[in-house]
Amino acid sequence: MSDDKSKSVLTGNTLTSDAVDTARTETFAADSNTPLTVDETSGAEAAAAAARMKANLPEGTQTGSPLPAEGAGALPHFVSTAPFDLQSVEQLTPEQEKIYFASQLTLMWWKFRQHRVAVWSGVFLLVLYSTIFISEFLSPWNYQTRHSKHIYVPPQGVHLFHDGEFIGPFVYDLKRKLNLETMTREYTVDESKPLKLSFFCSGDKYNWFGLIPADNHLVCAPKGAPFYLLGTDRLGRDMLSRILQGARISLTIGLIGITVSFFLGIVIGGAAGYYGSWVDMIVQRVIEVLQSIPTIPLWLTLSAIMPASWSPILIYFGITIILGLLDWTGLARAVRSKLLSLREEDYVLAAQLIGAKAPRIIGRHLVPGFMSHLIASATITIPTMILGETALSFLGLGLREPITSWGVLLNEAQSINVVAVFPWLMLPVVPVIFVIIAFNFLGDGLRDAADPYK
Amino acid sequence: MTFFKSLVSALAVTAVSATAAFAGPPEQPRVLDFDAMGKTIGKRGGTLTTLMAKPKDVRWITVYGGARLVTWDQDYNLTPDILESIEVEGNRIFTLKLRKGHMWSDGQPFTTEDFRYWWEDVAQNDQLEPSGPPREMLVDGKLPKVTFIDELTVRYEWETVNPVFLTALAGASPTYIYMPAHFARQYHEKYADPAKITSLIESEKVQNWTSLHKRFTRQYRPENPDMPSLQPWTNSTKLPSERIIFKRNPNYHRVDSNGTQLPYLDEVILNMASSAIIAAKAGTGETDLQARYIRFDNYAFLKQGADKGGYNVLLWPSGRGSEMTLLPNLNTKDEGFRAAMADVRVRRALSMGIDRDEINEAIFFGLGRPQANSVLPDSPLFKQEYADAWAMRDLDKANALLDEAGFDKKDGEGFRIMPDGRPFEIIVETAGESSQETDILQLIADHWKQIAVKLFVKPSQRDILRGRVSNGETVMSTWQGLNRGLATAQMNPEELAPISPVQAQWPSYGLHYESKGSTGTAPNTPEIKRLAELYTSWRKAGDTAEQTKIWDEMLSIFTDQVYTIGVVSGGLQPVVVSNKLKNVPETAVWAFEPTLYFGQSMPDTYFMAE
Repeated sequence: MSDDKSKSVLTGNTLTSDAVDTARTETFAADSNTPLTVDETSGAEAAAAAARMKANLPEGTQTGSPLPAEGAGALPHFVSTAPFDLQSVEQLTPEQEKIYFASQLTLMWWKFRQHRVAVWSGVFLLVLYSTIFISEFLSPWNYQTRHSKHIYVPPQGVHLFHDGEFIGPFVYDLKRKLNLETMTREYTVDESKPLKLSFFCSGDKYNWFGLIPADNHLVCAPKGAPFYLLGTDRLGRDMLSRILQGARISLTIGLIGITVSFFLGIVIGGAAGYYGSWVDMIVQRVIEVLQSIPTIPLWLTLSAIMPASWSPILIYFGITIILGLLDWTGLARAVRSKLLSLREEDYVLAAQLIGAKAPRIIGRHLVPGFMSHLIASATITIPTMILGETALSFLGLGLREPITSWGVLLNEAQSINVVAVFPWLMLPVVPVIFVIIAFNFLGDGLRDAADPYK
Repeated sequence: MTFFKSLVSALAVTAVSATAAFAGPPEQPRVLDFDAMGKTIGKRGGTLTTLMAKPKDVRWITVYGGARLVTWDQDYNLTPDILESIEVEGNRIFTLKLRKGHMWSDGQPFTTEDFRYWWEDVAQNDQLEPSGPPREMLVDGKLPKVTFIDELTVRYEWETVNPVFLTALAGASPTYIYMPAHFARQYHEKYADPAKITSLIESEKVQNWTSLHKRFTRQYRPENPDMPSLQPWTNSTKLPSERIIFKRNPNYHRVDSNGTQLPYLDEVILNMASSAIIAAKAGTGETDLQARYIRFDNYAFLKQGADKGGYNVLLWPSGRGSEMTLLPNLNTKDEGFRAAMADVRVRRALSMGIDRDEINEAIFFGLGRPQANSVLPDSPLFKQEYADAWAMRDLDKANALLDEAGFDKKDGEGFRIMPDGRPFEIIVETAGESSQETDILQLIADHWKQIAVKLFVKPSQRDILRGRVSNGETVMSTWQGLNRGLATAQMNPEELAPISPVQAQWPSYGLHYESKGSTGTAPNTPEIKRLAELYTSWRKAGDTAEQTKIWDEMLSIFTDQVYTIGVVSGGLQPVVVSNKLKNVPETAVWAFEPTLYFGQSMPDTYFMAE
């Protein structure tokens, strides 16, 4: 909606395209003879302000011509005594004002809101990301607790009614039988006694974020009772708790990795694009070499370097950094090509003339000009990082026990036994799929929104 | 139609009689007593398909085939097999008698010339065997006197007793004291035309004639399809190949009770598949006989597909001393850890820190036996004290022992630090071949937390691990337990003594022994020295009573000193057997030695029913 309106008004103006990011370059190039009026504020801002000023003086919208009728003789010198007020000619309605004076972020938000799927994906991801702060609390068990009497328990149901009577959420006890014929543990539900679940209770001890000892859980079963919503693995560990804990690693690894690759991409790509010539040449060749190395063997080598005695958390950081170190190339290229065109802008020349240094010009004037594009591409890269971690851990080269991540869980589920006999161990695939899809939708929405004037 | 059929059968009869004219068992074949063995008379023909992962796995056919000069019978006594008879005088003089009319698979006679060729032209050729004849052939460094009495009789005579001689001949990877001379000569400098050798060296891209000779005359790993053999099946495929076909040896020396020559099966086919999917393929019935590359935890899955796949899954008890052992490297390069691993108190404490019952329950379905790495209850040498040696979980004792050994200081997290101030973190390196290993180590890591010791698992790769172990780069590694869990006194106790650099608990001591003191490290503790001494004296022991005594003492030292930390023994090996394949025993001991996996149950008697 907002998009349409701004378009219709702005097309009446010869200089309208100024306000539009992408077209800005051309206009400035054509106008390069006009004196420079760029002050200390950023080139992008100045350009936007100028565009708005001009937009408020459209020629065709004046009412009642001040010119005398034809053949009325010489005109007397006329000086208007009315105060010179640009705004007086056309007063925007508050509604219009809201649109014309909206900041870029607001515009993006409006645009983004229209992409329903993206919004819901964002909400979904927000919820998931917020769980990682309280994974231990949400998990019914400590993810490392082994229940040697409850090995390979299939997912279990929660009941509400017992003998036709409502008694709130509860589980039934499980009876285990060792089947020596098939060498499996068979569990039968013992429906004689309901075991009521309690909420906001004390259960398995844990260290919140590995630091603060606590034992609070959202929901726990009575002592010794089986309560495994998603079943247990070969050591009798609760899958639900493991998936929730795994989310913490799997979701954050993308963010940390992307930060590293973002930093590298902007700095290296920025330098290459801004300085051009031999810097650009070297960077381009390095990128080509890096991109031509098959990723998996490179990951393998890098992760093999990490010593086994490192703590899992260090390994985790090592892996994120590896992922980041290898992923910056695409971004660096995007930054470079963008900068190559932007550095020819007049406001850059102006900034250079008043003595701004290269890092300031890149960071203050150039990068903000296409930040939105960067954010969108980052959102799309996060899933690659998550998949990268999953792939590495799946191959047994990424994270290792006792740290858990979705990749680690899937690594454990890669035998034929799991597929045939214990399919619930493959459940960590589900969150991986949903998160990747959600990120892709979100990225899609953000990319559209990043260019609200289009 | 009938005419056609009869024509075919007539042709078949002609074909059979035609081959019979040129081939067949020796005049005095080894007649197997099928009734005593509980086997049924089968019929010739059919193909057996099995899955393997690497071309190197062709060696398993030599192991499974089980034809040896002498073999261990069902009661673990040595009986002549390829040999017609063997006379032993005082464990010193061995007279080997060959079967008359016994031929190699290519139809050439198998005679004492083959023994002579090996002994004179191979074992004692300093270019082919720079280190001389194999250890089993030496007593106190002295060679035997070998007499080739006639075409079928050869005598080996030592000055003193040599108890390893026969057991080495019966080994899973046996000492070959013969070689098809008529075939091998073409690669031997002494016999072959030099021009031919030069051209072969060039075309095969090898260094010299010895590499040529070695490459084309391997007997244990039958890679060369042209190499004649005495095994029930001979390789007919040039390696590497995705499908290796072994063909029936028409001159095989065993016959069934009715006089039909064995083996029954015409072909054994090895299909190559990735080891990770072999269990899956077995589950769909793509193999007729499979035990390698499937594990106990596949059992439930295999059982599920048994009806559809048309196979049966048997469980054979494992003959290993322990399903998995931790091997503290007493020769590790790192001084601090070397001192720790060499300290018996540390080893005992680590062993006592393991909760073997939980491992048994979680991994082995409660069917295993928590015990130290020792012989199994079915072995005549078994004593309960060996099995129990430092294998009972006792945290107080373990903690006390570690404190006493100087590991009493703790770091901020409450884990022990070594006397030199570094954290006492043990990195256990594995060959990374099974998740079972990693699972057990995971459990042990948790158990050791309670004695404040940290364990890290570092999965590696078999060959890399071997290299790292012998270079002293590992602190601790894992491997399977004693191969001869079912040892009798006659069997070689070499696994208990520091005699080979492959032994991951003391590679450097082993090297020292093997190199006769020229490299490696000499053992410095009385117990290890004693083990080496005992091994030497076993090799000189005259009778079974003396051998038993030596075995006892060795087992006692070995288990009491906890050179290897055994976890659980008595694992079960699933064996997938096609419903059509007969004569596979319901149960047998699954071990490399002495049962040669399938070898002792004689796969040459297996046959395909319609």
